[in-house]
Amino acid sequence: MTTGKLLRELRKRGVKVRRQGERLLLRDLHGALTPELRDAIEVHRERLLGAVEEAEGAGVKPVDSVCPYCGVGCAIRYSVDEREGRILHADGRPSPVNEERLCVKGRFGFDYAGHPERLAVPLIRKPSSYPKGPLSAEVRGDRRRKPGGLVDYAEVLPHFREATWDEALDVAAGRLAAIRDGHGPGALAGFGSAKCSNEEAYLFQKLVRAGFGTNNVDHCTRLCHASSVAALLETIGSGAVTNVFADVKNADVALIAGSNTTANHPVAATFMKQARKLGSTKLIVVEPRRIEMADHADCFLQIRPGTDVALYNAWMHVLIEERLIDEAYIAERTEGFEDLRRVVGRYPPEVAAGICGVEAARIREAARMFGQAERAMIFWGMGISQHSHGTDNARCLISLALLTGNIGREGTGLHPLRGQNNVQGASDAGLIPMVFPDYQAVSDPTARAKFEEAWGTELDGTPGLTVVEIMGGALQGSIRGMYMMGENPFLSDPNSNKVRKALANLEFLVVQDIFLTETAEFADVILPATSFFEKVGTYTNTDRRVQLGRRVLEPPGEARLDWKITCELSTRMGYPMAYGSPAEIFAEFTALAPSYAGLTYQNLGLTGKLWPCPDPTGDGVQVLFGDRFPTPSGRGRLVPAEFAPAAELPDAQYPFVLNTGRLLEHWHTGTMTRRTRALQELRPGPQVDLHPEDLTRLGLRDGQLVEVASRRGAIVLPAASSDRMLPGSAFISFHFREAAANLLTIDALDPDGKIPEFKFCAVRISPAE
Amino acid sequence: MPSLTVDGRSIEVPAGTTIWEAARRLGVEIPVLCHDPRLEPVGVCRLCLVDVGEKKLTASCVRVAEEGMEVRTSSERLAACRQGLIELLLSDYPARPADRYKTAPDLLVSQARDLGIRWPSPAGGFPAGDGRGIDASSKVILVDHQACILCDRCVRGCDDVQVNEVIGRTGKGYATRIAFDLDQPMGQSTCVSCGECEKVCPTGALSLVRPERGAPDAVASADTDWEVL
Ligand code: SF4
Ligand code: SF4
Ligand code: FES
Repeated sequence: MTTGKLLRELRKRGVKVRRQGERLLLRDLHGALTPELRDAIEVHRERLLGAVEEAEGAGVKPVDSVCPYCGVGCAIRYSVDEREGRILHADGRPSPVNEERLCVKGRFGFDYAGHPERLAVPLIRKPSSYPKGPLSAEVRGDRRRKPGGLVDYAEVLPHFREATWDEALDVAAGRLAAIRDGHGPGALAGFGSAKCSNEEAYLFQKLVRAGFGTNNVDHCTRLCHASSVAALLETIGSGAVTNVFADVKNADVALIAGSNTTANHPVAATFMKQARKLGSTKLIVVEPRRIEMADHADCFLQIRPGTDVALYNAWMHVLIEERLIDEAYIAERTEGFEDLRRVVGRYPPEVAAGICGVEAARIREAARMFGQAERAMIFWGMGISQHSHGTDNARCLISLALLTGNIGREGTGLHPLRGQNNVQGASDAGLIPMVFPDYQAVSDPTARAKFEEAWGTELDGTPGLTVVEIMGGALQGSIRGMYMMGENPFLSDPNSNKVRKALANLEFLVVQDIFLTETAEFADVILPATSFFEKVGTYTNTDRRVQLGRRVLEPPGEARLDWKITCELSTRMGYPMAYGSPAEIFAEFTALAPSYAGLTYQNLGLTGKLWPCPDPTGDGVQVLFGDRFPTPSGRGRLVPAEFAPAAELPDAQYPFVLNTGRLLEHWHTGTMTRRTRALQELRPGPQVDLHPEDLTRLGLRDGQLVEVASRRGAIVLPAASSDRMLPGSAFISFHFREAAANLLTIDALDPDGKIPEFKFCAVRISPAE
Repeated sequence: MPSLTVDGRSIEVPAGTTIWEAARRLGVEIPVLCHDPRLEPVGVCRLCLVDVGEKKLTASCVRVAEEGMEVRTSSERLAACRQGLIELLLSDYPARPADRYKTAPDLLVSQARDLGIRWPSPAGGFPAGDGRGIDASSKVILVDHQACILCDRCVRGCDDVQVNEVIGRTGKGYATRIAFDLDQPMGQSTCVSCGECEKVCPTGALSLVRPERGAPDAVASADTDWEVL
């Protein structure tokens, strides 16, 4: 017997052999070792040591890609067991983005791709399952959601039958085309996803615009930074960050506003904490919750929810009063100073103190710390954007930076931390109703002519509807057919009860996803797509860094690449699309998007490049707007904002303010992370965080089941005592369908960004029977 | 900009550069255990000793390069020192990390092999104590205190790189251990499971929990299932 044969024999019998130093270790749990085999092992001992070690390393392939979760976009090397088609582990790679660091999601959140519940064949709803409606008792809302539950396959799958790709695509394309031809293109809409690549996003919006003939295309950016982008475009003419987050090390002060950074952008947070600990950066944290970042802050202001405008107006009041502003910068680079001065004049710290619940002296102190900095950066998250006055919140932060001349140099800048791994890219690629790729307005005849020529068809010049408006249209019947690529609005959109009715009301819905989602329960056709790990594509992170995601695994069953599905649908709807590879799609996109000019699959390399990238051999431009802004006048606009309260204030009946958001260990609607062993074990279920005083006042114990109810719905979940909360407020993450926070949230919209007010609604809390 | 020679080759480096870094720029990898270029050097393991012509050997990972220095990275004396250091560290190194999953190979064991040290020593080392135990409370990382060489890499990874500030040290003498928060079990500490500590740990002390290799609570018994030949 050769050593190799012996090793194979041992493996076949389930005997594990490992090497540790000069020791050979055996594990024979089933008693499969025969005396003959033992003798053979003795004989081959020395050679086995070498062979065992070799066998452990063999068949393990490293693949350099990026993280599928957040906008930080960490560079990752996956170690893949090629024989078993499985990821063994993930490790951070050297890259300016993460310098080899990862967070728990990037490090451990990859096994969902191999989950047995992956969709692997196209499905068509059975005739007996009409009229349409939710299929599971949970989504119907007539049964309390099972703890730990995702969509119950046993309950939902019997309503669908398996189909061939040809049949499913024909049905989908045929029905969508029939609605388009019968009721006009405006009766159709599409939701893409910020989880998909630039190529997929580009093709998706091309299909909706050129194939459907409407601009009704949007994605979850609407739910995260739409208001920030609206404010940025209005003031400085560009929606992207002006500097990368890692440059925080060169800032004297960093303001972190409305961002639970350690949970939502964990690796970016490490750079901020490190800049303070090992460098000289001071951190100012403004948040209604005393988040972990507050533990690292030099100055922490725990403001009442939804009072940001008053606070920052007061800061600007102090800055102007104490001449901590950059007068030369204001004169040369901005416009609108007098208007701003007039408005913030009405917000002395004493007035703001009454609104924000923070002492006037502390407001002054924070404003001075910010104003005295030679270089300051501003980071913000959903705490700023997800309000019915989110655009105003962002305007204030932008004005702060403009007043103090903190844009356009190293160690300065505006950085709205983008949420999804590709929310920057999906927006750049035109997955927004008002603009073509690279923010070229659909209403601009020149832009339209350019895209009409490139795409060889006539295009609609009226901006389309946004996410919540599309759901409203579905409810009223003006939107009849939808194509949903990787979005799960049932859990992600505000006011789920309304979304349920809207989805059920759709005449025809195609869902393309990797798992059965709550939204898929309302589908007529379900198309099995590929996960992040099974495709090649580019993703643009929060820094504007365009990075290549490489194929790590093979797709399961008949699951198909998303871009191929889009091409097939489009072709069958009479708008032929054919591409040889994602690189070809990327080339078409970059040719139409000046910001991406110069980037190619060949030159992105292992660490990607920032856009804009005028020198294709360089890394791209890190700091933007050193001498002018891309606005008509070249100046930055100071747009004043008046404080306005949230849409639904607490009252006697609903006395608590509900805040929603995410947890470190989970991702959005949980379809991925709840199917990941480590993440699910670390955070198995939902909870509502309440201040201990509130618990005592309500006579509740830590861990007790409570009912949280708003005017729109009610959920039951355990209460958790947390002195990081402000009294009178509650926090619930929206990951868990068994206690879906968005049953409670309000669909009040910001007038400019059309973003829903996820961060503020009134609720009532009582013990659950 | 001091200039120095490493094994006879000269190089000029910015002021403040360590000898180890200077050697690396010349393509000379001086063996390390407690050092990682991503971390501030602390110089505790002494494996990176070099000869700069002084009476004592010096730790290259912390010693700053000086003008005119003549560095030797290998000699019989250095080899004997390194061998002694590794043998001491291995003397009570447990065999059980065989079933552990590391994202990078166990540096202690591989250094030993590079130096031609047979481990476990045929003569038998110290009686291998197991006084420091296993902490299997985390869902993602298994802590084997007995395999820890107190190199401080995880402490720096957690505190200075990720700035989670969870890991420190506790105890005295032989009972010294790394500790999470105020010596909580890892799974009950404020650890955020970022995995940085496992990544930088050069031994089997911190490894990944992988269900297919035995769930955390099965670890203790799984260790005894292994038969050592
Ligand atoms: S910080 Fe974001 S991109 Fe990085 S590992 Fe975590 S989830 Fe992934
Ligand atoms: S996994 Fe926990 S202990 Fe280890 S570095 Fe991260 S936070 Fe620190
Ligand atoms: S590597 Fe230099 S002392 Fe440990």
